[in-house]
Amino acid sequence: MTTEKLDTVKAPRPNWTSRIDLPVATAFGCIILLLLIGSLYSPNFLSPEYLLQQLKVGAFLGVIATGMMLVILLGQIDLSVPWAVTLGAMMASAATAYGPMGEVLAIPFGVLCGVLMGLVNGIGVAYLRIPSMIVTLAVNVVAQGLMVAYTGGFAPVDSASPAMRYLAAGTLMGIPNAVIVWAVTGILAVFLLGRTTFGRAIYGIGNKEAAAYLSGVPTQRVVMIAFALCGGLAAFGGVLLAGYAGKAAQSMGDAYLLPAIAAVVLGGTSILGGRGNYLGTIAGVILITLLQSILSVMQIAEFGRQIIYGGVIIVMLLLYGREKSGR
Amino acid sequence: MNLAAGRPRGRSGRGIYRMDDAVPLFRMEGISKRYGGVHALDKADLVVHAGRVHAILGENGAGKSTLIKIMSGVVAPDEGRMLLDGQAVSFADPAAANAAGIACIFQELSLIPDLSVADNIVISNPPTRFGMIDRKAQQAIAMAALERAGGGDIHPMELVKNLPLSRRQIVEIAKALARKPRVLILDEATSALTAADVETVFGVLRRLRSEGIALLYISHRMHEIAELADDCTVFRNGRKIATYPAGSKTDDEVVELMIGREYNSVFPPKADNVDRVATPVLEARNLSWMQRLNGVSLTARAGEVVGLGGLDGQGQRELLLALFGVLRGVSGDVLIDGEKRIINGPRAAKAEGIGMALIPEDRKTEGLMLPMSVRDNLSFAAMSRVSRGGIVDRRAESTAIDRMMKLLAIKAASPSIPVASLSGGNQQKVVIAKWLMVEPRIILLNDPTRGIDVGTKQEIYALLRQLAAEGAAIILYSTDYDELIGCCDRVLVLYDGAVKRELVGSDITEHALIASALNIDHQEAVA
Repeated sequence: MTTEKLDTVKAPRPNWTSRIDLPVATAFGCIILLLLIGSLYSPNFLSPEYLLQQLKVGAFLGVIATGMMLVILLGQIDLSVPWAVTLGAMMASAATAYGPMGEVLAIPFGVLCGVLMGLVNGIGVAYLRIPSMIVTLAVNVVAQGLMVAYTGGFAPVDSASPAMRYLAAGTLMGIPNAVIVWAVTGILAVFLLGRTTFGRAIYGIGNKEAAAYLSGVPTQRVVMIAFALCGGLAAFGGVLLAGYAGKAAQSMGDAYLLPAIAAVVLGGTSILGGRGNYLGTIAGVILITLLQSILSVMQIAEFGRQIIYGGVIIVMLLLYGREKSGR
Repeated sequence: MNLAAGRPRGRSGRGIYRMDDAVPLFRMEGISKRYGGVHALDKADLVVHAGRVHAILGENGAGKSTLIKIMSGVVAPDEGRMLLDGQAVSFADPAAANAAGIACIFQELSLIPDLSVADNIVISNPPTRFGMIDRKAQQAIAMAALERAGGGDIHPMELVKNLPLSRRQIVEIAKALARKPRVLILDEATSALTAADVETVFGVLRRLRSEGIALLYISHRMHEIAELADDCTVFRNGRKIATYPAGSKTDDEVVELMIGREYNSVFPPKADNVDRVATPVLEARNLSWMQRLNGVSLTARAGEVVGLGGLDGQGQRELLLALFGVLRGVSGDVLIDGEKRIINGPRAAKAEGIGMALIPEDRKTEGLMLPMSVRDNLSFAAMSRVSRGGIVDRRAESTAIDRMMKLLAIKAASPSIPVASLSGGNQQKVVIAKWLMVEPRIILLNDPTRGIDVGTKQEIYALLRQLAAEGAAIILYSTDYDELIGCCDRVLVLYDGAVKRELVGSDITEHALIASALNIDHQEAVA
């Protein structure tokens, strides 16, 4: 260390407690709290089967939220997630209908469609300088239109490929494959954010785009790629969902926009960008999944569920959305 | 009035009242204002009389702007009092100052381009009828104000964005007049105008003076002050230094009053080992951009510290940004090692073969990502040097960072703490170190020591010398004249986006810097 000739306090090795940030700890605390509340209702809430089931359900959201996190870290937002999810699901299923070759290429094709959609978002935001809220919303509607045109307004008839079903619904040594997929996605995301120049650039741009630009970072390219990744991951989420359900469905992605954003933000990623770690997003995803599960198990009427769900998200954002004022 | 002293450049006593009228229209007594630990104003006094033009002079940071902000109710003083017609007053906000009869025309135009002239003129207090804006009354008010401001030819319904700059300035004055001011403050109101427009505005101001309005005139342009002012007050480091009738002092004496500081020697010795025949590392030819740069040419050789001087806002910042490739639409050529190169952004500038670094002006928004760690900030510009195939080599990174933290003696408990938690001086060191990580050959610095403590300044001066000795070409813009004198082998003084004068070696004196910065004729100013 450099402290030899300096008159500052000796640099202590940062211990593990200092590495945990408050929002992540809060999110995990809330998870435990939810489980305890649930266990009062039924002891099943603490059983390994239930927890594994929740992880499996959360995996789809987890994959989608990973992409959303990249974009939010930039200080942007991607509102085209719903139809990126549906696009991925429908295109992968559609490819499946084209013989054995189509079956093999179904997953990559679905993801590629999402990447292209994200690329349009990214070009709009980075190069055409359109606010991401507008351009992604517009692209979402365009994608919806294209998909409706493709199906002619009817429910899609294609079904998911065996590979899609295996990834989403199969198990490997008792662990749901979806959970493994999410874990792999997460490890890649952690590596990308923590160990690559691309990851550093994302945090830098999210903090101060001007400073990042003046440092010689190709800010426009980084923003574009991040949106493309977000689109691709959303579509991949859709591919998995289609595999889980056996087929794609119109507007199957609609239920994933708010949860994806909420999971990222509940996990402590600043909605203004530049701050957050993937552990938090994992916590956010689990938290949202548990919340939805408990509300449905408690057999609260649909309207009540929605009110509580929205209310809890607002309260949690209030809990740690404030420490930002120093920035 | 003392008409005998000095050259008769300002004719004092031409106002309709004399300075020693019984009760001055406006008076400030012992006004102080601190920002953090810095005294922006320190027990300042000012007496303003009706029917006179009172000029305020001072260097950058002398306290002029703070003075105006206090007068116009933008900020509240920490202590002291203000008297209007001999009655103590205090302003909670600009509206209160307006109501009391004090109107201000700020340096930046305050008009809204997409509204009409009339809308703009009455914007703070539009005439209403049954709760709706009375268009007819609004037009009448606007027309009367424009007439008084010498803009009778401007149609009140014209959109401001369709007017040329000089006309907008007239509208700005009309807007101030519509508030029926007794004291009218003009803060660098002519800095955007051409000579002909300035004449028009001056005609208007003279008439306003004859109507008994007190005018407070802030300008860096000495000849304008000589032409217009009745009284002058010099500020320096937040203190009032002197008030005197215009024309009673020579330009030399005025500059003397404005400098007046002790010259402190905190600078390392200059070691002039510059090879003057070698091809310059950096040469710029005839750089122009949007009227902010008007044909700037310069050279910088290895081992040389070249200063950019002049008043704030004469194109120095734009010049550095243009060299770094940040500005769009710059005409002229940049040569690196004698070869023409296209530098279209920071990425190109820092690339191999050019090796340029820019220490930006504002470390909080342009230099650093404050919430990020010292480590992340330090390696941010030099990512390609500590990574392979896009993957960060953590060992190489921490070696490079440790070296830099030692070299600049950055005081941080650990490289992983947020840079925001460091002191200002150490933050600035991080900005500089971040760019030294790319091992630049050409280092551009935009006022690198602003707002940091003397000790750190000294370290930075020594570092600059060391870097120059190691062969870097350094271009240093500073608003602090001492720094230019102490650090630079050569100083280019900019005025109105062009190099006005080049000072070399022992010619770099405070006197010469200020005289050429103010664009005073050099024979009469340099004693």
